[in-house]
Amino acid sequence: MKNRLKVLRAENDWSQQDLADHLGVSRQSVNAIETGKYDPSLPLAFKIADVFSLRIEDIFQWN
Amino acid sequence: MAGKTETNGGGRSPFFYAGLILFAYAIIIALASTDAINSVTALILMVAPLGLVWPMMKAATRRIDSGGPGCFAKGEAQKRYMKRVAISTSLYLIALAAMTFGEKQYELTEPVRVVLATLPGLAIVGVFWAVGRLIIEEQDEFIRMLVIRQALIATGFAMSAASVWGFLETADIVVHLDAYWWAVVWFFGLFVGAVMNRIQYGTWGAA
Repeated sequence: MKNRLKVLRAENDWSQQDLADHLGVSRQSVNAIETGKYDPSLPLAFKIADVFSLRIEDIFQWN
Repeated sequence: MAGKTETNGGGRSPFFYAGLILFAYAIIIALASTDAINSVTALILMVAPLGLVWPMMKAATRRIDSGGPGCFAKGEAQKRYMKRVAISTSLYLIALAAMTFGEKQYELTEPVRVVLATLPGLAIVGVFWAVGRLIIEEQDEFIRMLVIRQALIATGFAMSAASVWGFLETADIVVHLDAYWWAVVWFFGLFVGAVMNRIQYGTWGAA
C-alpha cells in the first residue's frame, strides 16, 4: 500500500514526532507507516485522515 | 544501540546500571564459589546490588521519555512493563538466594522446601505476566505488533530448542537440562525477536 504521508507532513511543516503527537502514537509508528513497512489499522487510518482533513483514499492507495 | 555508559538527558544509561548489577553478582558468585566468603555473607551481599534497580528504572524511564535513540517507544505501558520486570527480577534474585541459603544452612521440612523452591519460579512467572500486560496495555498498535512478534519468535525459538534437546537427551547424546532453562531460552528468544524487529522495522519492540 502506498501513502502520501511524507508529502502531507511536509506541507504542514511537521516532523514525524509532530504527527505522532497529533495521532497519539510513537514516532516509530509514523516512520513505519510512512516508509510502507507497516499498514495502519482502519481506526488509525481514519485518525490520520482526520488529522489532515482528508479522506482515507486521498492518503492511502492500494497498488 | 547506545553504548553502556552513554549519558542521556543528564543521567547514565540503564545499561550502565544493568552492567553494574551483573558485574556485582559475578563478583559475589566468584567469591562464594571460591569459598572466599561464606553463604550467609554471599546472601547479604546479593541483596545489596538490588539498590541499583531503582536508578536503573529511573534511567530507563528517562530514556523512554526522551524517545530513545531510535530504539525505544515512548509510552506509559512500556514504563509499567520495565517496572514490573525490574520488580520480578529483584524478587527472583531474593527468592533464589533464600532457597540456596535455606537448603545449605538448615534442615528444612518438606513443606518449607516446596515453598522455597516454588518462589523463584513464581518470580519468573511475573516476567511472563509483565509481557502479557504489556501486550494488553500498549495503546500504540505498531509497538503492540512488535511485542507480539517478539513473543511469537521467542516461543517458537524456545519450543523448537526444547523439542530438539528433549529427543537428544532421551537418546543420551546431551546432558539433562532442568526445565527452568527453557524459560531462559525464551527470554533469549525475546532478544532475538527484538533484533529481528530492529532489522525489519527499525525499532526493537519491548526493551
